[in-house]
Order: sequence, then structure tokens, then C-alpha cells
Amino acid sequence: MATWMFYILGAITVVATLLAITQRNPVHAVIYLVNSFFALALLFFLLGAPLVAAWEVIIYAGAIMVLFLFIIMMLEIAPGVEADRYGPNWLQWLPILLLAAALGICTLLLTGLDPVGSNGVPHWYASPRDFGYALFKEYALAIEVVSFQLLFAAVGAFYVGRPERKSKSPAGGDR
Amino acid sequence: MNLLELQSLLPQLILALGATAVLMGGAWLENRRFWLLCGMLLALVAALCAALYEPPLLEVAGMYSTSLYARFCTVVWSLTIAATLLISCRYADLHCFGGGEYAALLLFAAAGMSLLSAASSFVGLFIGLEAFTLVLYILIAFNRTDNRGAEAGLKYLVFGAVATGFLAFGIALIYTATGSFHFAEALAGLQLDGGLRPLGLAGWAMLLVAIGFKISLVPFHLWTPDVYQGAPAPISGVMATAAKGAVLTAFLPLLAGLGDAAGEIKSVLWLLAILTMLGGTFAALPQTNLKRMLAYSSVAHMGYMLVALLIGGEVGGQALLFYLVVYSLATFGAFGVITSWALADEEIQEYAEIRGLGYLHPRRSSALAAFLFSLAGIPPLAGFFGKFGIFHAALRSGYTELAVIGVLTSLISLYYYLRPIIVLFMQDRSAYQLRSGCREEFILLGSCFAAILLFGVYPGPLLELVALVLP
Repeated sequence: MATWMFYILGAITVVATLLAITQRNPVHAVIYLVNSFFALALLFFLLGAPLVAAWEVIIYAGAIMVLFLFIIMMLEIAPGVEADRYGPNWLQWLPILLLAAALGICTLLLTGLDPVGSNGVPHWYASPRDFGYALFKEYALAIEVVSFQLLFAAVGAFYVGRPERKSKSPAGGDR
Repeated sequence: MNLLELQSLLPQLILALGATAVLMGGAWLENRRFWLLCGMLLALVAALCAALYEPPLLEVAGMYSTSLYARFCTVVWSLTIAATLLISCRYADLHCFGGGEYAALLLFAAAGMSLLSAASSFVGLFIGLEAFTLVLYILIAFNRTDNRGAEAGLKYLVFGAVATGFLAFGIALIYTATGSFHFAEALAGLQLDGGLRPLGLAGWAMLLVAIGFKISLVPFHLWTPDVYQGAPAPISGVMATAAKGAVLTAFLPLLAGLGDAAGEIKSVLWLLAILTMLGGTFAALPQTNLKRMLAYSSVAHMGYMLVALLIGGEVGGQALLFYLVVYSLATFGAFGVITSWALADEEIQEYAEIRGLGYLHPRRSSALAAFLFSLAGIPPLAGFFGKFGIFHAALRSGYTELAVIGVLTSLISLYYYLRPIIVLFMQDRSAYQLRSGCREEFILLGSCFAAILLFGVYPGPLLELVALVLP
């Protein structure tokens, strides 16, 4: 059961991602990407990492994709709607509807799965506690380095993106 | 993290915490030169600490080793960054760089490079590599008035992101095959009947793509000339020397860890080495821009170093480290001269702009000529011994074809190294007077020149040191 589910979800992820990178309309691409992230989240859940699954939905499918949509709206790079037709273009909607339906069925099946497997081990063996322990104990040093990295990324983005100031000391070392 | 672990990572801590301190200080006190020199001092302290302080642990958190090899690399990268900060003193003034930010980013790059060279697990490798590449993306585009810099930064960012994807995927595949990130277990677990397991082979293929991009081996080298041309000259210097060296030094124990199972990987590397030597050399021939020529020359030199990597063992490792130091000195010096010649709005890099410059600025022109001679491998300078070491080792270990190609490409390379030198000292002058160099630049160029001369006439101590630190 779980093996089958894995292959189905894997196929959904791959198909949705392929559609995401081939779409000309950026909004459509974002929708497919959200679909792919949901499938990935279910995969993580299947692997016994419910916390990562939740984050995948909250952070990637939620926050980051909303940010993408905001940027697309702000830059107005999405093509406008054709005015001469009424109602949705069903052929365009078909792939995403199919993918979403498959995802929905998978989710329902997953919630129906018995939380305790045949060998008595719960499916979600990576509890948030285990996860936190691995992250902040075993890989604490990695977390430290990554946080430094993010700090400098922020500084760099701020520096490079800052509008040019009228320089106070033009070519001070002009000797 | 306990106290012992922190003590073992002291040099990297000095670099990273120093970087944050300089960053914060830079917000209060706007004195460019002060922060650059402050950063240089911190990098020197870190180098001194790595050289003299015996760390209490052999490995930190199962991710970074503190072996002699790692400490040697830390010293070399810290010194490179210190040199970069010193040579940037006037360049930063000229281009109105934010002093605190510039020094902080470079210091953190040094921390990332030293972590990468010290990595003893794939997690450590990935994080170290990303730490300094991320900083480089920013530093390439640091000159905000220069559109070419922004373009170069974006180019490097896009290519770099793809390479990072390959690296992460490769590491994931290796982890899937072995269940461990730690080099010793992961590399041993990959072996199956004297070869590599299929999953491991796929993982290694992806690793090679990522590494090939970072050190610009030939099919993955297309970004190199554009990025070096667009980036500020001191940053190009760092990218051509320390950034590539750090990846190479991390790759050396990785390949050594595979042992006899590396046959398939080595056959790929063999092909890459030939392609890189030939491709870099022939692409450099028609260049009429100093920075682009140096970029292609760095590609060709990566090919020579790949030969040393292939030879492996003590002989190969020794030849590689010696060559790396010598090549870094000469390349950094050459970019240093370009830095010193920079104008406020552009850098002097076209051959047409340096025609006859040797008569106006004899000291810096002769230094540049010496660095190029060393890169070409002309005997009294250190480059000759580096090349001699690699080709000699290749002949002794049965890589005759690589040695022959190496010698041939070195001969051809004379053409593109001598060309700018001839242009520099041409009688009909089209160059005009530039700024005279400042004290910091002369100190740095002078010491680079002295070092390549010293290692050329008296390479013994460096060779002994390199033999001592090899794992």
C-alpha cells in the first residue's frame, strides 16, 4: 500500500514540476509548483516525518508561493485574461484538476492508513522531538554556520540592492 | 557544542565572529581603510592561530577535521583573504565600497573556505562550499555602479544554483546508498566488488558536475571569463585562487578515500584533465583582454592540478599542494597589478590600453611580467618547479599521455603569456599615465614577487611543509 502510494505521489511530483517549468503563464506555473510541493509533503509524511511534511506545506506551498504570486502581481508579468470567452477554459484546467484530485485521494487514503504498522512501530517515527534533537544537537554546528550564512546573505542583498548614495568621500585615496 | 569543540574551531571562530564584529563596527564608524586593515589583521590572527594552536579534538561534531592538512589550508586561505583586503585598500576607496561590509564578507568567505577544506562529512562539505560561494555572489556584484559586475554576479548565481542542485542531489544519492554523511563510512560503504555501487556512481557523477563547475573544468567552464571580467579585480583574484583551491583541497581526501574503487571516477577525471588543459590553452590564445586571458589560463592550470589529483598518493598530493600555492601567488599577483592600475570608472585590462605601459610604470609592469613568466613556467621562478613536479610525478605513475599533453600545452601557453608582456614594453605607446601605486599595493606585490622568486630558487622548505601536512 505504502509502496504504491509512494510511486503515485512521486509521479504526481514529477509531472507537476515538469508542467511548472513548461508553462508560459507564471501564475499557472506557480499553481503547478504548489501542487508539486503538496505531493512532496505527502511523501515526507509517508516516510515518517510529519513535521517536515507540515513545514513543506506551511513554508513552501504557503509562504514562499504566496510571495511568488505577490511578485508576479507587482511586476504584472502575467498575461491578461482573454475577454472573448466566458467561463474557464476546461482544457487548460484539466491537468491541474486531475493532479489535485489524485492528491486529494492520496491524502484521504493516507489518513485512513493505520498509524501503527505491522511491526508495531508507528508510521511517524521521526517525532518533532527526534527531529529537533537531530537538528539542534547532532547538526548544531551546521545550523550555526548556516545562520551566519543567512546573515551575510541578508547584508549582501541589502548592500547590493540599496540605491546609490551620493558618496561622501569621492575617491578619497586619489593620490 | 561544548567548549572543547569551540576551542578546536578557534581559527574559523575568529574569522566568522570577527566578520560580524567588523560588520557591526562598520555601521557606526565609517572609515573604509580602518575596517579593511582591521579585517586584514583578523585574518592574520586567524592564520597565526591555525598555524600555532594545537586543537584539543581531532574532529569537531563529526563534520570538520582539525588535522594538520585542514590547518594548513586555513592558514593559506586566511593569508589570501588578508592579502585581498590589503590590496583592496585603494581600490575600495576609488569605487566607494562600504568598508565594513566588504571586509566582513571577505572574512566570512575565508571562514567558509577553511571549513570546506576541513570538511570530513558531506554535510560539512556542502555547508562550507555554500558559505563562501554565497559571499562571492555578492562580492562579484559589489561595485554597484558597474553593470557588468551585476551581470557577472547574476551569471555566477544562476550557474552556481544549478551546480548546488547537482551537489545536493549527488550527496543525497550517496547518503541513500550508504546511510552515512561521514566520509570514511560513506566512501567505504559505496564500494562493491572493487568498484562503486550504481547509486554511488550516479552520486559521484553529480558531485563531479558540481566540482567541475566550481573549479571550472572544461565542459563547465563557460562562466569563467565573463565573471572574472565583470567582477572587481581583487575579487577575481580570490575566485581564481582561494575559491578554486578550497574546492580542490576538499576534493583530494574525498578521492583518496575511495581508494581502489576510484577506477571509474579516475577515467572520467582523466578525460576532464585532457579537455581542460587543451580547452583552456586554446581558448586563451586569441584573447586580447588581460582578465579574460587570466581566466582561461586559470582553467588550463586547473587541468594541470587535476593531473596531480589523478596521480594521487603522497607524490600527487605533494605536487598538487605545491602547485596550488605557487599558482595562487602568481595569479593573485597578476590580479593585484590590475587592481593597482584600476581607474575610478573602469579597469585597465585591454591589451590596447596597456601598450607601452612598461615605460610609464616600470615596477608594476615588471612584477606583472614576472607573475606571467611564473605562470608560464620559466625556470628561475616558482611556476617552473610546480609544473616540473606534476609532470615528473605523472611520468613516474604511468600517466605519460597526460604529461605529454601538459608539456605541449605549457609550450603553447608561452604565446599568450608573452603577448601581454611584449605589449607592455612596446615602443609606440598608446597607454597614458596612471596613478602611482600606494604603499599597501607595493608591499603586497613585492611580497608576492619575492615569494615566487624564493620558492623558485629554494623550494625545499615549502615542499617539506607540504609533505608534512598531507593526510
